[in-house]
Amino acid sequence: MYGGGYIFDEPNRRQLKDEQQHDDPEKLLEFEARITSGAKIEPGDWMPVEYRRQLTRLIEQHAHSEVMGALPEGTWITRAPGFKRKLALIAKVQDEVGHGQLLYNAAETLGKRRETMINDLLSGKSKYSNVFNYPAETWADVTVIGFLIDAAAIVNQVANAKGSYGPYCRALERICYEESFHLKQGHDAFIELATGTKMQRDMVQDALNRWWQPIMHFFGPPDKNSVHSEKLMQWKVKMASNDDMRNQFLDAYVPKIWELGMTLPDANLQKNSEGRWGYSDPDWDLFFKVINGDGPCNSERIKVRKWAEESGRWVRQALMNSANAKVLPVA
Amino acid sequence: MQTNPLQQAITYLLTKMADDALILGHRNSEWTGLGPIMEEDIAFSSMAQDKIGHALGLYSILHETYHAPDPDQYAFLREEKDYLCCHLVELPIGEYDFSLMRHFLFDHADALRYEFMEKSSLEALRPLSKKLKGEIKYHTLHANAWLTQLCSAGDESYARMQSALDYCFPLALGMFERREEMEDRLMDEKIYPGEEQLKEAWLERIYPILVKSSLNLPDPVNTSPINGGRHGYHTQHLQPLLNEMSAVFRLDPTAKW
Amino acid sequence: MENNSLDPRVNRLHLSDAASLVIVNDGENWNVYEVFHQEKRGAHHEHVGCVHAPSPQLALVFAKEQFGRRKKCVNIWVVRSVDILAFEVEDEDMFANNLDKTYRDASGFKVMEKINKYKAQQREEK
Repeated sequence: MYGGGYIFDEPNRRQLKDEQQHDDPEKLLEFEARITSGAKIEPGDWMPVEYRRQLTRLIEQHAHSEVMGALPEGTWITRAPGFKRKLALIAKVQDEVGHGQLLYNAAETLGKRRETMINDLLSGKSKYSNVFNYPAETWADVTVIGFLIDAAAIVNQVANAKGSYGPYCRALERICYEESFHLKQGHDAFIELATGTKMQRDMVQDALNRWWQPIMHFFGPPDKNSVHSEKLMQWKVKMASNDDMRNQFLDAYVPKIWELGMTLPDANLQKNSEGRWGYSDPDWDLFFKVINGDGPCNSERIKVRKWAEESGRWVRQALMNSANAKVLPVA
Repeated sequence: MQTNPLQQAITYLLTKMADDALILGHRNSEWTGLGPIMEEDIAFSSMAQDKIGHALGLYSILHETYHAPDPDQYAFLREEKDYLCCHLVELPIGEYDFSLMRHFLFDHADALRYEFMEKSSLEALRPLSKKLKGEIKYHTLHANAWLTQLCSAGDESYARMQSALDYCFPLALGMFERREEMEDRLMDEKIYPGEEQLKEAWLERIYPILVKSSLNLPDPVNTSPINGGRHGYHTQHLQPLLNEMSAVFRLDPTAKW
Repeated sequence: MENNSLDPRVNRLHLSDAASLVIVNDGENWNVYEVFHQEKRGAHHEHVGCVHAPSPQLALVFAKEQFGRRKKCVNIWVVRSVDILAFEVEDEDMFANNLDKTYRDASGFKVMEKINKYKAQQREEK
């Protein structure tokens, strides 16, 4: 479900230079011309080293976010109220795993095996979306996640689906289709509470208050602080600026929250005359603290992931054979 | 809610089937996001959803035709003693060998129950069993594939599956626990062939797959079944799960969720 | 047993330390199979993605749920990724002139033009 605008690392400038010097200038021109013309890049194509590196990183972190995203909502699987909500929630969490599967496959076409990516997730070398390091404390949290985090993810993913790498675009096409179900079921569950009893409204207001900052963090630091490479934009790896995506999200969803008489915990949240949304700057130090492992749930999430890998090991190892060596997906 | 003895017996039959599906569906859904590999995680989750869907289908028949409360109320807000699920489905997920073996043993019995229901003299049961046929076929196909492959994949996985079978078998026999006063009525009316016949058919169904997997079936005659569920006596694991299942509902049972 | 998690499922697991080293070995995610689905009888099987599986049989079992749990689907094929033979991407130029070869295409034959020309001629001659 979830990308996030902040996940591009700033490459070591000298290293980038060295790498780019190794790129054949003629091939680079041809590659860039192809992207400018709107054509997609496919797995066997020549590509700049830095393109491959950043794209692998992007898709892999997106995949990790799906897999980790299954955990906070999974918290409520046994407790989801009633058949309709229960089936929708399990199907949704299942989809997250399914999206992870599609995205790992897309990343594998760039040469990094799924096992290696999983190991980088477990060791903390590779990151995932920060929102999943927060707890889903009540049922109302599940509705806020399903509605607003999925909505934010859609903004991000619809943008990425227009990117240049074929396998990632194909995965995103299917993912966006399924996300529309996630958003709808989340919105429906959210509305049920927001139009329900006083207790239900209080629950959902409380969840909104707690989730608002992580949601504002979702698209990453403001553009003025992130020197995201123009190259990544030119190569259609990064498709929209963090602030633009955040604005697009606020524009579409803040009215949907307000229309139900719910409030958001930011007195400065309002649309200006030019159609841009103003808001208080969320705590970006906290954002980086959570990314670096110090959020309320980072440790539990990793522990649970490790449990899953560890407890499934005998199954995987029993059916391993030498024919499994070094195979990657075709497309 | 039941009026005449026959309706009581039908309610009993559908409730025990639905409760089995509901509880096992919940248990199996606990693997969602935690499975041994992503592809299997997805497959196992689908089957858990199917089970919960089957329970809903059965509760809906009870509600629409036999005056039971609406499915959400009936499924999630009864007292523990009013649940009729067998002990096999109540146990926590344990390790994957246990969960797979439970799935194998349960789903073959389930497939047979629905096959019999398709031929039942009771009209109300037939459309559902027909509708679920394809889903259940996938469940047993999935279970058979895993069982045969893990059993021929080396000593450790073979030993795990054999001990899972030894552990599950008496619990699985508990699926066929009888309540004679109910069963006799159903058998008289040709609504249901009875647990004894079902058990024989089940043994016949699973035996060739166990042979193919080189697993040793414990002796069914000399194994004491672990019974109680069909009479409302349950393991210590059921009540905590029921508490979870109804936790949100009970915050305000009159509210819509 | 108690992990102080909000997730009752997680509280039932025996978790080890977050710092413990867990490594998935190369090959533990098995082989890769390409998946093709058929939307309806009579349609072509189309490529939709891939699954990791230890055997063709389980690949099919997995593909059914990962690629056939929504929308219409009547059949699925799986084939090992290594068994797919494809052209190199730079050989795309072999196909480059396809659209120029109008003699292979109905649009390359202007039948009506000729008929109309003939008919016009006939009218003039009358």
